[in-house]
Amino acid sequence: MDELLQEFISETQETLEALAGEVVAWEADPADRDRLDAIFRFFHTVKGSCGFLNLPRFERLSHAAEDVLSEIRSGNRVADPVTVSAVLSVMDRIGELAEAVAMGAALPNENDDYLIGALAERVAAAEEPACASACPEVEADQPAARAPHGHAPPRTIRLPLSLIDQLMNGVSDMVLARNELSRKLRERSADPELDSAFERLSTCVADMRDVISKTRMQRVDRLFAAIPRMVRDLGRDLGKRIDLSLEGGDVEMDREMVEMVVDPLTHIVRNSIDHGIESPEARRAVGKPEAGQLRLVARQSGNQIVISVSDDGAGINTARLVEKAVESGRITPQAAAQMGEQDKLDLIFQAGVSTAEQVTAISGRGVGMDVVRANVERIGGLISLDNHPGRGLTITLRVPLTLTIIPGLIVRAGGQHFAIPRAAVVEILHDNNETMAVHQVGGAQIATIRGVRHSMVDLEQVLELEKPVQVGPRAIMVVRSSSGVPFALGVSAVENHEELVIRPASPLVMASGVFAGMTLPDNGKPMLLLDAGGLANAARLPNIIDDQAARRQEARADAQTSVEMVAALRFEEITGERRLLKLSLIERVEDLRADMFGQSGGQAFVRLDGRLLPVANGLHRFDTEAVTALHVRDGERELCYPVACVLDIVQMPVVPDMVAMSGLLSGVAVIDGEHLEVINPFALFAALPEQALVEQAPGRCLLADAQDGWMREILAPLLRQAGYEVTIGLPDDGSLGAGDVILCGTAAAAGQAADLTGCPVVQLRASPRAAGPADGSIYRYDQNALMSAIAGARAAAGTRGGRA
Amino acid sequence: MSQLYLFATLADTRIAVETEEVEAVVRLAEISPVPGMGVQVAGLSALRSRVLTIIDAAALIRGAPTPADRRGLAIIANISGHSYGIMVDGVSDICTVQNGRLPLRGQIDRNWAPYARGIVEYADGPCLLVSLSAFIEGGATVPVAA
Repeated sequence: MDELLQEFISETQETLEALAGEVVAWEADPADRDRLDAIFRFFHTVKGSCGFLNLPRFERLSHAAEDVLSEIRSGNRVADPVTVSAVLSVMDRIGELAEAVAMGAALPNENDDYLIGALAERVAAAEEPACASACPEVEADQPAARAPHGHAPPRTIRLPLSLIDQLMNGVSDMVLARNELSRKLRERSADPELDSAFERLSTCVADMRDVISKTRMQRVDRLFAAIPRMVRDLGRDLGKRIDLSLEGGDVEMDREMVEMVVDPLTHIVRNSIDHGIESPEARRAVGKPEAGQLRLVARQSGNQIVISVSDDGAGINTARLVEKAVESGRITPQAAAQMGEQDKLDLIFQAGVSTAEQVTAISGRGVGMDVVRANVERIGGLISLDNHPGRGLTITLRVPLTLTIIPGLIVRAGGQHFAIPRAAVVEILHDNNETMAVHQVGGAQIATIRGVRHSMVDLEQVLELEKPVQVGPRAIMVVRSSSGVPFALGVSAVENHEELVIRPASPLVMASGVFAGMTLPDNGKPMLLLDAGGLANAARLPNIIDDQAARRQEARADAQTSVEMVAALRFEEITGERRLLKLSLIERVEDLRADMFGQSGGQAFVRLDGRLLPVANGLHRFDTEAVTALHVRDGERELCYPVACVLDIVQMPVVPDMVAMSGLLSGVAVIDGEHLEVINPFALFAALPEQALVEQAPGRCLLADAQDGWMREILAPLLRQAGYEVTIGLPDDGSLGAGDVILCGTAAAAGQAADLTGCPVVQLRASPRAAGPADGSIYRYDQNALMSAIAGARAAAGTRGGRA
Repeated sequence: MSQLYLFATLADTRIAVETEEVEAVVRLAEISPVPGMGVQVAGLSALRSRVLTIIDAAALIRGAPTPADRRGLAIIANISGHSYGIMVDGVSDICTVQNGRLPLRGQIDRNWAPYARGIVEYADGPCLLVSLSAFIEGGATVPVAA
């Protein structure tokens, strides 16, 4: 009896898991008869089984659900969202009951009547559209579910896990025995007959091992099974519309791995729905389709499974992330200012940082991505983000195919061998390598590798082993711990690269925190697997973000002693020279129209977004229509630097190889064998006029006497050529701007105009000679005097206007 | 009321272990040391394809690790899903004892106290009944040797 009950429970639980997705898919397409039948069958089976197992509550629930479904089947009722929700909650309750029975606990005594009542309830069709729109549409590729009728599913049996583990162990024993036999055989004289028999045995053992490994594999479908339901429920709770698509459910991965990935994946999906995908209103406002896209894709790549979750939501607001991190005191504003986009994005993995404006029940409490990353890295996986602010976010998980076999490096330290996951090792060098140096500072070891400083520890030191005297160089590995800060780890030697079968070590051994497991290589000597993050913690290496930024700053400060490199832009001047400018100063590179450049008072400028920017090298006339220009910024002031073309980004020493301060140049740097002049940003900004350019309204010249032929035919074109706007006659409404200058032919008219309008007036005379010392008029063919008088009048008016 | 016991010597003391706790007794092969452990963890050893964590139980009693040349036999036990080998000086017998476990008498040595469960009468006198899992769980709290 007990056995029957046990079987009923596990079968029910399994079917429930598989069905959750089906119900949601059925809701999206109520006409799908196959799915409806599958759900109906489930309730029918439960009802039938619990009849003779004497489980009355199961029976009542399944009976009620079956009734409703058969009504839908007969077409008397439609599968509206309310009905589906009710069916789902009955399924949930059956799941709870099954669990309770399995645990032998008392059945949760909740009111089943309520659920059954909800099933019977019929809702007016009027309120449906709103609800219906919140339902996700599922396009899962579930070939199993879509299998044609009459095609029998493959026969399966149920086996206890422990039996499979025993089988696994047995096969491992066989492999070891074979290896030993092989060694023994090699020591003896060659006997072809024996060899071929052994070869056959060997192949059998290998095949057997492969097959047994397959028993551990499971389709990713199982990982995806709970997703559609979750997406549906969350979407409804949050009032968001989500189109979910699942791909690659038939990829297989290790059963244990599936279990390890479920939690991180669930978390990521919840995050995407809660923070990523916007509400339908917000999406409409930014011109996106109302329904957000959520795509889960699994595929196998080598010995890794790649699972990516992409949405077309808002992406991560890195600025907000930095703000939060600074607010919480996690990083200093200085450090934040030095962070690159990727570093900023990585802040999401810091504990307690979230971009959510408010804490919701679903996510945003700031416990999340750090835990997700820790969990993924614990199983030897990697997590990466591809952020497109405003357009979406893709999170990619890469996890090894199985938990138990990982590529590892065998290292020797203190006379013992240890393994370290290869994924944790960034690079390996010998300590006599020219590109690196190890320094001792106040007991701390610092390894400087190509100008980058790493904390360094010797493995012997962390593990409190004796460091044997060694002939020849030691190996230094740059190891990335789970906190992401790489450090250098010194070992006697890196000996080998092997696929390692990892098994958990006993709690006593794990308690030390520096080991992640153990492995038994072919030589039969157990070996411990090192945990990179644990080593960093045990050695108490600084691994906070602040320190990272501070170290960079420090490295810049003492660039005198080491050749510190900075990124620089290599470009070609309009005059043909090739020069370098520090990249961090360049805000952007843009193509500007040549007519946006101009000159005023000896200073070249460019009109950009309604502002005037000074032009660095004084150029303002170009042969081409478009000019490539660097937009340079010193924090407050900006300037524009027109160049012939931008070549590439290179690494240049902070101090040029040859210092030669002259003009805009600070010296010469040799990059890839080419001598390049380095622009001195200090001189660049120092050469700018003190005041930022203030753009004046385009000047207008008013010719007072509209009847005067000379003014109209000769003066007007001249003024237009000089860039002024010309109006003939005073405007009737007297609307005059600040930049307006009135030109008139007689002193009387000039006085009148000045009184009338208050605008500066320039008086012209026909005679080359002035009428007297008090005569302020200008000879009308003296072009220079005329132009400077107009400019002077405008300037005077400008200052007056400014003071007023 | 008869219970099967394994009789052994550990740290010059005659001990008895309930056979339910015992999986096998093996002669120890090579032990790979585990750095950074307390004295009671002698290291890892392979038993066919299994890896055992070897517990130097005598070190828990005496406070000093057993020298390598005196490492001989180990009792294999599966404790909460992991395989351990508890080193003993020697194994003498497995037999049933009529009276089973008897309460402790007298003042037990402080070092033995965490592991002792009672007394078992053997042919030539009483033996200390110990629990193997206590060596693992109790041992976890022993500070790391300097």
